[in-house]
Amino acid sequence: MGGFKLGGMTLKSLFKKPETLCYPFETKEPPQGLKGHIVIDVDHCILCGICMKSCPCGAITVQKKERVWQIDPFRCVQCGTCVRMCPKHCLAMDPAQTPTAVEKSLRIYEIPQVEKEG
Amino acid sequence: MGKATVIPFGPQHPVLPEPLHLDLVVEDEKVIEAIPQIGFVHRGLEKLVETRDYNQFIYVAERICGICAMGHSLGYAETVESLMGVEVPKRAEYLRVIWHELSRIHSHLLWLGLAADAFGFESLFMHCWRLRERILDIFEKTTGGRVILSVVKVGGVVRDIDATMMREIVNTLDGIAGEYRTIVQTLLSDTSIKNRTVGVGYISHEEALNLSMVGPFARASNVNYDVRMFGRGAYGDLSDFQPILDTSGDCYGRVKVRCEEVLQSIDIIKELAAKIPEGDIAVPVKGSPQAGAQASNVLEQPRGECYYYARGNGTKFLERMRMRTPTSENLAGMMKALEGCDLADVNMIILTIDPCISCTER
Amino acid sequence: MEKFSQSFTNLARADLRSLVESRKEEGWRYVQTLAVNTEFGIELIYTFMLDGKMVNSVITGLAKGDTMPSITDLYLEAFVFENEIHDLFGVSFEGLAIDFGGHFYQVAQETPMTIISPEQKAAREKARKVAEAKANKQAASRASNAEFLADHPDAMAPKKSGKMASPSEESVEAKLAGMDPEKVARVKAAIAAKAKKAAQQEQQSSEASSAVSEGVSAGQDTTLDPELEAKLQGMDPEKAAKVRAAMAAKAAKQREASPEDAQATKAGE
Repeated sequence: MGGFKLGGMTLKSLFKKPETLCYPFETKEPPQGLKGHIVIDVDHCILCGICMKSCPCGAITVQKKERVWQIDPFRCVQCGTCVRMCPKHCLAMDPAQTPTAVEKSLRIYEIPQVEKEG
Repeated sequence: MGKATVIPFGPQHPVLPEPLHLDLVVEDEKVIEAIPQIGFVHRGLEKLVETRDYNQFIYVAERICGICAMGHSLGYAETVESLMGVEVPKRAEYLRVIWHELSRIHSHLLWLGLAADAFGFESLFMHCWRLRERILDIFEKTTGGRVILSVVKVGGVVRDIDATMMREIVNTLDGIAGEYRTIVQTLLSDTSIKNRTVGVGYISHEEALNLSMVGPFARASNVNYDVRMFGRGAYGDLSDFQPILDTSGDCYGRVKVRCEEVLQSIDIIKELAAKIPEGDIAVPVKGSPQAGAQASNVLEQPRGECYYYARGNGTKFLERMRMRTPTSENLAGMMKALEGCDLADVNMIILTIDPCISCTER
Repeated sequence: MEKFSQSFTNLARADLRSLVESRKEEGWRYVQTLAVNTEFGIELIYTFMLDGKMVNSVITGLAKGDTMPSITDLYLEAFVFENEIHDLFGVSFEGLAIDFGGHFYQVAQETPMTIISPEQKAAREKARKVAEAKANKQAASRASNAEFLADHPDAMAPKKSGKMASPSEESVEAKLAGMDPEKVARVKAAIAAKAKKAAQQEQQSSEASSAVSEGVSAGQDTTLDPELEAKLQGMDPEKAAKVRAAMAAKAAKQREASPEDAQATKAGE
């Protein structure tokens, strides 16, 4: 018949640390560079629109005249292209969990006008 | 002779990872003929090339299949680079191959778990997926995503792996290899598993050549073909590469070939991690493919040889992008393997060809 | 390890069966069949591989609704691709071993790959315009160069600047073919200013080095109208430099007498 072949592994696992975490009481530290939703630093944005052109899903809209930058987080696939292409490095990914929503909404940011010096 | 009845199999079935429909013509518990029907997951992704430019399309190519995600993005990037005549730096090639081999290990571990689950051996299924979680943790730490990696772009890769991380990867793989050998030993030497797989779904060497089968499905019938043996890219720097072959041609042989491929991949990764050169990880790519330029490429995915074709039309949109996946080649082989088997063996045979139907239909 | 090589060859439509039969005899492995919907018809590409050598055979000039012979009697696994091409492109195959009759994929529209989306149409139009503009520019610059040479046989320096300007004109035209009009005007102005500045600098240096007196005083392009000078003192230094370049360019144009429409745009501003 053959012995209890996984016996060794099974017995050892009685004394080892479990492979799983007791979530939500314990959480794992997210590694560096984990993907998440997009956040913008409005003070450095120059409304160039490169993020809008390179987004593969059309999630970002930049309106230069009204100085508005908006993202549809339900269309974003977190590829990271906008973060890489931004010339002023004002976009970043935040892996913190976002709450569940009942209906889709946009996130709209106003870019303040920066006074030119000289 | 008894009367022939038609039994529908799928598209929803506990054993199938993806929807596939078969009409089994059955006579007295023996399957005479099997007619496949696919098309449940057809999303028309090849037509999206017209609306996404060649840099954006890589994210579409990745999402064709969850298991083969790295393979498709790599194959697409290599094809477009050969179309535009871009040469990728050596370090980027090594990194891509390391991620691709890790993806092969995770795909085979996933498959092994499903095969054990199809037998009813659930504890082995859990152990395999527990080991797979460690590979997914490596992916998370190096690329930011567990399944969809988004780490390859046209011209190179996006992120680097430093020396500390590389040592950690090698240590994790060594840890996995020890436990993995115990699991494989359990699976392959068990009498009840041998009773259910030896001699089942037999395909001879000549039939395998006639039906142009690819991947571990064919290598179990002693067909000596693996794209990695051509030595392109970083595979050319390996000291030796021999495809793993088996002469039995039945389900047991296919299980054995896949189990040994995992160990071979671990060796490949360790060798490349020791030899990786310093350098850039990407080159900038400007312009668009020329009108009328065409390029084709083959890549060894976990399920077999995958063929890519690209044609440019002078603008930043490609004219045509085609991905021919190994499972669509193997469908004829699957039909042949199902002829003459018992009705109870149908699950096992279908699982051992490792069907990835979302790749087949795109 | 064996070497891998790939190639593309053309194939006539009538030779398909004989080619496939010879491949089967020599033991080639069948790789795939695919179809491409181009502006000039549908093309089919058959691929076979033997010992590391992959040959793609391209058949051109098919149309939707055509019939091709099937190769499933020799290579059964081709039925997947031939059914798919029938559903998506409308090219039917006769003699299919397993024929789904158009229901392999249940698609909502008939032959979806032959429907040209608006983006694809726009892309093809742009490619066509770019090619036309390139051809026209090449012809025009050649003609203008010949004309100029006929007028001024011993003028070497201006010819150099004229030749230098035209390639950039071509690439600019190519880029501008797809942009919107106000951007076009801005870009054209900027490039014209740069070219004229370069031309002016070259002329100055060449006139200083060569002792040829063409009746052109080297001091003419730096001294401007006195009241204009006064206005320029009060303006932004950048703007002043631009205006100076414009005046110099106008003067240079009158001397060169070469028909460059970018000049006209600059002068007209």
